[in-house]
Amino acid sequence: MKNEFKIPFFLLGRFMRGSNKWTLSLVIFLLAIAYINLIFVNSLFQGVISASNQQVINTSTGNIVITPVEGQEFISNAEATVSRAEQADEVNAAAAETEVPASLRYQVIDANFPVIAIDPEQESRVTNISQKMIQGSYLKAGDTDQIIIGRQVTGAQGAQNLSTFEGIQVGDKISLVVSGIPHEFTLKGIFYSKFLEADNRTFVTRQALDGLLPDLHDKASNIIVRIAKTGTEQTVIGQLRDRGITGTFNTWEAMAGQLTTVVDSFITINALLTTVGFLIAAVTIFIIIYVDISHRRQEIGILRAIGIKGYLIRTTYVFQSLVYTVLGVAVGAAVFFAVLVPYFWVHPFVLPLGDVTLAILVDDLIGRGFGVLLLGIASGLIPSIIVTRAKILDEIAGR
Amino acid sequence: MSKNRDVIQVKSLEKTYALGEIKVKALRGVSLSIAYGDFLVVTGRNGSGKSTLLHQLGLLDHPDAGEIFFAGQEVTLMPERRRTELRLRNIGYIFQEFALIPELTALENVMLPAMMIGARGSARKRAQELLARVDLENNLDHLPSQLSGGEQQKVAIARALINDPMIIFADEPTANLDSIAATDVISVFQSLNREADHTIVMVTHEPEETACGNRVITIADGLIR
Ligand SMILES: Nc1ncnc2c1ncn2[C@@H]1O[C@H](COP(=O)(O)OP(=O)(O)OP(=O)(O)O)[C@@H](O)[C@H]1O
Ligand SMILES: [Mg+2]
Repeated sequence: MKNEFKIPFFLLGRFMRGSNKWTLSLVIFLLAIAYINLIFVNSLFQGVISASNQQVINTSTGNIVITPVEGQEFISNAEATVSRAEQADEVNAAAAETEVPASLRYQVIDANFPVIAIDPEQESRVTNISQKMIQGSYLKAGDTDQIIIGRQVTGAQGAQNLSTFEGIQVGDKISLVVSGIPHEFTLKGIFYSKFLEADNRTFVTRQALDGLLPDLHDKASNIIVRIAKTGTEQTVIGQLRDRGITGTFNTWEAMAGQLTTVVDSFITINALLTTVGFLIAAVTIFIIIYVDISHRRQEIGILRAIGIKGYLIRTTYVFQSLVYTVLGVAVGAAVFFAVLVPYFWVHPFVLPLGDVTLAILVDDLIGRGFGVLLLGIASGLIPSIIVTRAKILDEIAGR
Repeated sequence: MSKNRDVIQVKSLEKTYALGEIKVKALRGVSLSIAYGDFLVVTGRNGSGKSTLLHQLGLLDHPDAGEIFFAGQEVTLMPERRRTELRLRNIGYIFQEFALIPELTALENVMLPAMMIGARGSARKRAQELLARVDLENNLDHLPSQLSGGEQQKVAIARALINDPMIIFADEPTANLDSIAATDVISVFQSLNREADHTIVMVTHEPEETACGNRVITIADGLIR
């Protein structure tokens, strides 16, 4: 190794030793803020997105929705299919759902909300509706004339276009009209999951369905599957196929419907804010490094005058800004993990779609960290190129 | 006359500064040769062009016209990379304002140019020797801000000597010093010239200092008088 290669490390070491600790802290603090600014909004938005995704999964679809093979209306052997699905390693639970071809009637009001027949115990292992009762209670096995309804059905909010059952109380009678014939049910409970599409639905037990339409016994409109790890849906679909389960396999994403457009616009806003964040970081870093190097113009003139090669001087200042940005990113990451993440864990953002905490996206954190380092290198390189091209005498004289 | 006897040959050197519309002719065709072992003293009134001449000879600036031969090689049109190399290895330059790196100690300031060439250990050893020679062996770890003006100038002299240059330029090295420190610095130059055969070019205003060299030139209005 050439001896001169040691010069940048030597100079950098002395510059750091001689630097004002307060100025250095301030520089690192500013760079840390620039990095946090880049990761915080991203993590928050990803938190929103994953909260809303999680809500779709938790309240209605599970991770995987199996629908009948094309051309068929139902999955036959529903119970056998559910147990077979549950045998797969990565599957936590599965539940059969059957859409009842019925409309609802309360007093004189007719309404068309989906009526779904479930095995309550099975369903509650896949979705969390059983924990979302705001009045009355959840269904249980043997409830042959009981029904539970989502809050949207009571005309709560944002349901103007549908006819709803405003003022309905637990214990009131609701009729299920099947092929023109009403069958009387009692309202057992009202649930509120905060996910509109889920809160639009009503549930009865499979035993009730057997009483109404015996032909639909052991037939399912769809089977919802809860898996151990969200994100591995495609793998699990492969496993289910291998187990001989036939049907059309959909992930929750494909079933989420309108929610994906909300998520899409969040992604767009996030991309925009990320771009702005990078611009702010770029300007901050550039100004900090530029000011720092400008203060050292005279010194750089002296170094050049005594014969220190330009590339060594440039390397020194690139290293210096690299050290600043590495420290800034490290401090920023420390604050993020030690302060912000725990804080939002304890005080999450309460949004209609659920509680939002900061998502930790390792790839993004690392990628953005490297982005900041690259900005640091560029910010060190540009002024030092300018400075090593200026006239030596002008620099020494401070002109 | 053999060129190789001369460290430096200057032919019709011209330098004009442009201050907006006004043009200041700082050098109007200076020709000069400096032989090995010379101790050349340059005097002249303020603004006569002494510093401008030294800057050109020290390869810190480019003249507008004329040639400079350094050990026989023309240097005004050399690429900057090679001029930097010459400054590092063959030229020692001492500024009036000391021009030390504030974050480096006396020892580090002196050893820095040697670290460009040799190992750190030998650079340090040589820097210690040179600082001892200018009586600063007890101030090795002082920062420039912790040294007096005379001490700083001695550090600058030691730095100029570290790579054993062919020639040393000193622009009013004693101007910021009291008379005792000035005498001290001048005697360092004299012993360098006499005992170590260093070639020295020194600019000065002090009439008594003109006697310390073996040659004196006076610059007036951009020309050697
Ligand atoms: N960077 C510059 N821009 C414009 N004019 C300059 C510049 N440097 C020097 N000059 C002018 O050139 C002339 C010669 O200046 P120089 O510094 O060489 O004089 P000097 O002999 O060293 O004077 P002093 O004894 O005061 O140091 C002066 O008239 C000065 O004003
Ligand atoms: Mg001068």
